[in-house]
Amino acid sequence: MDLPSGSDGAMTRGGGGDRVAALRKTVLATLGAVLLATSGWSFYQSRRLPEPVVLGPGVTRVRTLGEYFAGVRGTVNDCRLYFLEGEEPGGTVLVLGGTHPEEPAGRLAAWLLVENGRMAAGRLIVVLSANRSATTVTRLGGAYPPDFSIPTPWGERTFRMGDRWSNPLDQWPDPEVYIHYPSRQNLAYVDIRNLNRTWPGRPNGTLTERTTYAFMELIRKEGVDLVLDLHEAELQYPVISTIVAHEKGRELAAFVSMLLTDTEFKMGMEYSPKTLHGLSHREIGDHSQAIPLLFEAPEPFLDATRGRTTREALLTGKDEFVKRAGQAGLLFETMDDNGWPIDVRVGRHTSAVLVTLEVWTDFYPDRPLRLEGVPRYADVVALGTGHWLQNPASAPPGRVVVE
Amino acid sequence: MFAAAGLVLGVMVAVYAVAKAFRLTTELAMFAAALGGSLAGGFGLSPRHLAEGAMTYLDINLIFLTATFFMNLLKESGGVAFAVRKILERFHGNRFLLLVLLTGLLLLPGALTGAGSVTVLITGGMVAVVLQAMGVSPLRTAATVFLVAGLSAAAPPVSLWAMMTAAGVNMPYVGFFWPLLLPCLLLSLLTVFLLAGKGEGASLEEALGRLPEAPTRMNGWRLLVPFGVFGLLVFIGRRWPHETPVLGLPLMFAAAAGAVVLLSPVRLEVLRIARETVQQLLPLLGTLTCVGVLVQIMTLTGVRGLLAVTVVTLPVALVFASLFLVLPLSEAVLMWGAAPVLGVPLVLLFNTIGLDPIVALAGMSVIWPLGDALPPTAIIGRLTVQVVGYRDGYGRFLKACALPAVIIMAVGSAMVIFASQLSFLTGI
Repeated sequence: MDLPSGSDGAMTRGGGGDRVAALRKTVLATLGAVLLATSGWSFYQSRRLPEPVVLGPGVTRVRTLGEYFAGVRGTVNDCRLYFLEGEEPGGTVLVLGGTHPEEPAGRLAAWLLVENGRMAAGRLIVVLSANRSATTVTRLGGAYPPDFSIPTPWGERTFRMGDRWSNPLDQWPDPEVYIHYPSRQNLAYVDIRNLNRTWPGRPNGTLTERTTYAFMELIRKEGVDLVLDLHEAELQYPVISTIVAHEKGRELAAFVSMLLTDTEFKMGMEYSPKTLHGLSHREIGDHSQAIPLLFEAPEPFLDATRGRTTREALLTGKDEFVKRAGQAGLLFETMDDNGWPIDVRVGRHTSAVLVTLEVWTDFYPDRPLRLEGVPRYADVVALGTGHWLQNPASAPPGRVVVE
Repeated sequence: MFAAAGLVLGVMVAVYAVAKAFRLTTELAMFAAALGGSLAGGFGLSPRHLAEGAMTYLDINLIFLTATFFMNLLKESGGVAFAVRKILERFHGNRFLLLVLLTGLLLLPGALTGAGSVTVLITGGMVAVVLQAMGVSPLRTAATVFLVAGLSAAAPPVSLWAMMTAAGVNMPYVGFFWPLLLPCLLLSLLTVFLLAGKGEGASLEEALGRLPEAPTRMNGWRLLVPFGVFGLLVFIGRRWPHETPVLGLPLMFAAAAGAVVLLSPVRLEVLRIARETVQQLLPLLGTLTCVGVLVQIMTLTGVRGLLAVTVVTLPVALVFASLFLVLPLSEAVLMWGAAPVLGVPLVLLFNTIGLDPIVALAGMSVIWPLGDALPPTAIIGRLTVQVVGYRDGYGRFLKACALPAVIIMAVGSAMVIFASQLSFLTGI
């Protein structure tokens, strides 16, 4: 085999170049594999992080959503339903926590209901992870921590952070545009995975649509009178520190708003827009006998102007940048050095639930809803959310389940 | 908090500058800046955040890949050459109509894929041949192709700047079609007529001789049916959304690509074209992936918040007056990263002061692509002069772009300032 003059040298350089290129590729591939393995382990762990629930003295039954609609049975969204049934008959209320898991005060408040509550009259059904799929992922680009821990007198309880949307691992791809059922309203494509844009759902739809359909089946079959959906909102969002009410619940919400503002903290009230579809406060009211109310608490951790995205910021609700935005008049809620700590946000929700049930009972004495044992706003702020979380290690046998 | 985030920002800028000085590509420089920011912010190497950030634009990357694969198959099948030759033969005697149709040919690939580079690669070269045959100088031809390619990237249905910014503020990517289409279409026509409106044309035979031949069996049906497949799938998804499965845009483009393969008059080497598509797009996919990583780390460390709160608390008049400069410069440095980093706080500001955020964002999206000709990246600008075959100084190329660019900046800025008055565009 004849080679042209000088080709040896060229080959040697080429061979050396090839070796360098191969080495570079090997090193980069190895680094990539390490990144894949370490991050993959983190995602695996957070998706499977067990969240224990101590069944409080008032929990009489635990069922699953799949018992009401087979379309979600065995899926990631086959969430648990905690029934607290009073000895006295009365109405039925459904409390939804975890519609948007990245708004954790709603989930935590629901946790306090399950671990502390006891119905004296009527029935309470509590959901801790309405969109369980969304609890297993954090928002891409949002840099949220995978989980957070609440200190308690006996140690810590750790919860998944979650996202606003169902995990793409459970529902993907998204359509070019999301057309809501049954209104046919055009919504953002990503909102086909948003549990609070898919009400009232449809039986042969996507996982998120089937989940809201299953909740509608629950509401219909259990004769639910009242649905309370617990949320949090960024301070740059105008719907904040308020109750959003379907017109069926107008008077109820107005009284709750006045009572809370007079006695505990400022709480607004607004009507559910009739032309905006897919939201719980619109569709549950339109498609069932139940009255839906949605509660919003302030969460600076969701604001786009927020500073460091850390677990500490999530729990303290303090943020210099959001405060600066407030000084510039850009916020719809006050923001000072005290921030909006998790205890304040959780307490707002527990009191909102308690006051709503009190007003309901005044309005509908033939269907009373009397809840006891749940801490009010002042109790949660004074003693901390963790004080009201029970220790799974000292719970009676058979009284601990995992979310 | 301000000082700490400022320090992290300083480290990220320094690492980026050093990486560029060592001739690292823009995407690697952004990745290095993200690593530096994570370390400086006290988060270590944070592999979870690196991986999560890298996935941020996965869907957009898939659209990018499948749409470009579709256009590349169309080119290899002879469809693009067929279209250019037919337009030239039919309208050779009518310069006005010919320029209008060539503008359409330049707008289509970028509008479908969201990438100006795809326009340059798919139709840019052939349109350049036609323009030069019409007596337009290589300098003006390069400027024309670059500017319209940029506008094509901003045009709907896929406008990455608008999509990325909208995603960052939880705003649906809905209502953007007309606010994006009208300025992009009108400014493209204006650009073409300003730069290529005059010239002594060569003969039809000479012009056709310089274009690639289309296969003899290629015809209008073979060209249009794949677009019809794509359009039909979009139509079905919108007309019967609850009776049909969700396909997603990547699968729709893949189906259109399948139609090209089936109808092509020549046997297409699908695997080779797929490989070449991936190679062609790697720098752009890498950029989008690393932009996701960079934004994630900026959010983690508070740098995004610092930039956001600084921008939203600036005097509004100053923001309006500096948009024409800031947007192209940010594009030149961060490419699409400019949208989530700078676009998000700007849209928040505009929304807060009562402007229509959709029209304002559309106006910004029209201005952003101008930065693709500016150093340090200048990817689309350099690609254009290569494809068109312009060989003189790059500075002269930039000067040739100047007049239409000033008009584009003025229109984009006016759309932002008068966004409320133009909000009717979102409801057409």
